[in-house]
Amino acid sequence: MSVGFIDILQSLIDGILFGSIYALIGLGFTLIFGAMEKLNMAYAASSIGGAYVGLGLATLFSLPLFLVFLIGPVAAGLISILVYLVSFRLIPSTNHLGSLMASIGALFFIDEVIIHETQGSPLTFPELGIFAEAYFMFGDLGFRGDLIFIMIFGLISMGVIIYLLYYTRLGLATRAVSQQNVAARLCGIPIHTINISTFVLAGILGGFAGCMAAASVGVISPLLTIPITIKGLIAAVIGGLGSIRGAIIAGLMIGGVENFFLLVRGVNERDIYVFLLLFVFLVLRPNGLFGNEINRD
Amino acid sequence: MEYYFGILQNIGFHTLLGLSAYLLLLTGQLSMAQVGFFAIGAYASGILTVIYGINIFLALGVGALIASFFAFLVGFPALRIKGLMLVIATIAFSEIVRLYFFNLRWLVEKNGVEVGPDGAQGFREIRYFAANGWEPYHIVSFIWIVVILVLFALWWLDRVKAGSVLRAVGEDELAAQSSGINLTVVKVSAMTGGGFIAGIAGGLYAHSTTYVDHNSFTILLATFAVAYPILGGLKNVFGTLFAVIFIQGILIEGLRFLGDYRNLLFGLLIILVMNFYPKGLINIPLFNWSKLVKRRDI
Amino acid sequence: MISKIKSLKLAALAFATVIAGGAVADTIKIAGWGAKSGPLRSFGVNSEAIIKAAIDRVNENGGVKLADGSMAKMSYDYYDSACNAEQGIAIARKVASETNALIGIGPTCSGVAAASFGVFQKKVGDSSDTGLQMPLLTDTAVRNGLAKISQWTFRNTPNEPDMYDKLFAWIAKTNPEIKTIYGGTETNQGHSAGTYSKVIVQAAVRHGFEWVNGPIDEVSGKIGSGFKNVLSSSSNWLMEDTNFSVQARAFKKSGADLFIVSSHPFTTCGFLKELSRMKGMPKMMVGLTSSSSAEVMKGCPKQAEGMIIPTSFAPITAAAKEVAALAAANGGSADLHSAAAWENVMIIKDVIEAVGITGDPSKVKEERAKMRDGLEALETTEGLIGKVTRVQDEGEALKPFVFVHAKNGNWEVLHDPRK
Repeated sequence: MSVGFIDILQSLIDGILFGSIYALIGLGFTLIFGAMEKLNMAYAASSIGGAYVGLGLATLFSLPLFLVFLIGPVAAGLISILVYLVSFRLIPSTNHLGSLMASIGALFFIDEVIIHETQGSPLTFPELGIFAEAYFMFGDLGFRGDLIFIMIFGLISMGVIIYLLYYTRLGLATRAVSQQNVAARLCGIPIHTINISTFVLAGILGGFAGCMAAASVGVISPLLTIPITIKGLIAAVIGGLGSIRGAIIAGLMIGGVENFFLLVRGVNERDIYVFLLLFVFLVLRPNGLFGNEINRD
Repeated sequence: MEYYFGILQNIGFHTLLGLSAYLLLLTGQLSMAQVGFFAIGAYASGILTVIYGINIFLALGVGALIASFFAFLVGFPALRIKGLMLVIATIAFSEIVRLYFFNLRWLVEKNGVEVGPDGAQGFREIRYFAANGWEPYHIVSFIWIVVILVLFALWWLDRVKAGSVLRAVGEDELAAQSSGINLTVVKVSAMTGGGFIAGIAGGLYAHSTTYVDHNSFTILLATFAVAYPILGGLKNVFGTLFAVIFIQGILIEGLRFLGDYRNLLFGLLIILVMNFYPKGLINIPLFNWSKLVKRRDI
Repeated sequence: MISKIKSLKLAALAFATVIAGGAVADTIKIAGWGAKSGPLRSFGVNSEAIIKAAIDRVNENGGVKLADGSMAKMSYDYYDSACNAEQGIAIARKVASETNALIGIGPTCSGVAAASFGVFQKKVGDSSDTGLQMPLLTDTAVRNGLAKISQWTFRNTPNEPDMYDKLFAWIAKTNPEIKTIYGGTETNQGHSAGTYSKVIVQAAVRHGFEWVNGPIDEVSGKIGSGFKNVLSSSSNWLMEDTNFSVQARAFKKSGADLFIVSSHPFTTCGFLKELSRMKGMPKMMVGLTSSSSAEVMKGCPKQAEGMIIPTSFAPITAAAKEVAALAAANGGSADLHSAAAWENVMIIKDVIEAVGITGDPSKVKEERAKMRDGLEALETTEGLIGKVTRVQDEGEALKPFVFVHAKNGNWEVLHDPRK
């Protein structure tokens, strides 16, 4: 089938819209990295875990389905606290390997709990009501209503987080902890409380992203975690670990690039190009789109 | 008995995989690329024995050389990338390798059947061992001779100056560099060596399972590869061996009686070990000669 | 000291022999394995539930008759192979060398089957081949052409080439207005992609359906012909994908009368939802055998409405209905994959009775060989929805099947090709 200009444009639009999910997950990775200079590998798993808890509770108590989108993020926030406690709180902060490994342990654990409870079968996930029905056409180009909603939500969260970080006392404390851990402690900043609040914030965000990802497909499955973990990490790295705008822009970009190569090169090669893009950034611009020049290690 | 031989085989190539990651961890590089080299070794040696009918020893060697060549290439860009960024970059490398083999179709007709890698359908009938009358204990002994050689080589490495150089780089790059250590040489040779070990491991794996497909080389296996040395501890090579026996022997095979709950335990256990033994389970140097022998060169 | 240890060992050995000896007359062991962890856990859960139900049934009816005419109970152990080749092989070795299981049922994942069949002896009696010597009768792993890897491996899985052949013949006859086809599959799932490119599309072409953009090179309708070109002409995705916009658009744009969606439930639902959002639903849809399961009806009953799938299991006979109910009672569900486990247990019982098994652990090697010969000699077996013909030289089965379609949240029988 010949690929026309309209097809390319459409694939970019679809991809960038879908990239909102990578952007939100990337945002969470970057937020935690910004605060602690650590990767929480269990992040995407706790996001999907939250969505599962939301779905589970809503089904169990026959609640109205829109509540899934409230319970999910809250549950993901709580799961994130647990992940912090078991993977970061007790492990010395200089031991990067230890907490990385422990968060990978948490990733496996959350995934297996989900699989154990659901037999690994995909479950129907409620769609985003009117947004899911909406499909806008501008000329020959189509836009999915629910994805536009997710994208707007992502941009708003970016705004809120930038506001929180740069215009509130909590944000000031978070930045202080991230820049000078010891000095911050000497100034009386309770670093564990700050870290937990970062985890909760990131967790809630992830919970939303998890619910949105599941809602946009209409089905939820533990198969979702690994791909969004990897794409979210790539978004965080390309955006520059620690950069909030960077994660959002890189997430959208990855979505676009991925879909473009899906269209022109087919699905078997799609991800190769995403990884090559990452390599290009790592070699030519290791600090990412917006990363600062501090050499993070 | 064959069952225990089978488990010993598993422990054997997982130990090699873990040791290849161990070597890199000594220089402070957390590499998820080991599974990529493992896959290259597996496919390369499989293709050599199945399609070209080459002897297993030669095939394993060539496969490992090819893997180490790719590791050498990865070593250079990896110099610029450190810490967590390296984790992500090497994940990307392993995924590219996996996707390459996912797309690789190289079928050749042998005795009326098509053999060779067949994309997503995998690479079947890598039956060199069974077809050449190797008994299970031959295979196990062969694998373990390789494992012991590698264990010994790495143990010995730690006893000589080269080992201290590796660890110096791992402890503090800047300090190592300022004391005249050439970072490029050290890190790239560690990567190449790690690639070689992973390549052999891959070859052994392909021949003892008789089948590989791209699904055998996922991020999950890359995680296992680095988990062994981290869980076992970096003080000496036996930590890795211990962790492999613990995970492959006890957790995966030994806990089968737990049925459905076995897999829940795996993640939980990593979390527990990291919380209680953040430096790994075996955290004492074996045979601390420096305490016995007075060192002259201080 | 040494002699003490030795005598202790001897005592233990004697004790073990007594226990095992006691088991001769009253228990025949079989082993099952499949994925009980990981995303494909439902396969193992369903398979085990049905093996359990079947063995309970055999035992309720008095058990199985041994060579000396006495009756023995059957028992089973089920192992988790996690859809992982290493674990599958470890279990095959464990069962073959550490247990007295006469025969195995499993595995569930085709990838594990492809790997672990390779560690079995290729040709019976070839003493230079050191592969495992234990018969295996697979229930779930369905990928085309696996059983011939070893003469010890047999399968009782649906024969997809035959099923899709009959399906397209039937569609061509009953729906002459359907002319063009288009489709896609999940390429990183061996079964979905293999069946799609080598079987389904070929069957459609064979029965006169036209690929929507003109014929695909080298595709003649013969199994496997030009399958690479089939894949490159289709619009595909991966088994863990969530974004189907490009693919659904390609399907819609093709404007074909019939869409082939060859994937497992998770992406089948994701894809169909996107397709229906784009209002690209075709006149007719054909799905992959594995999608005719409860999962699709849980995940996307509305979007799958009308999708036609050939399946070797549907609750159309009293026996099939009963198995479906028993599976549910044991915490699983009966579908075309797991229902075969019931038939397998019954086949094993019949073979045991036919070849004369003593159940003596010291003779397990010979009796396994006997079981293998017995399986190989079978010409037909009784299936849940009708007679199953064995393809003897390949170790495969030709199972009866029906065409079902999704209707009001259920798979309903659309047509029974035997009538």
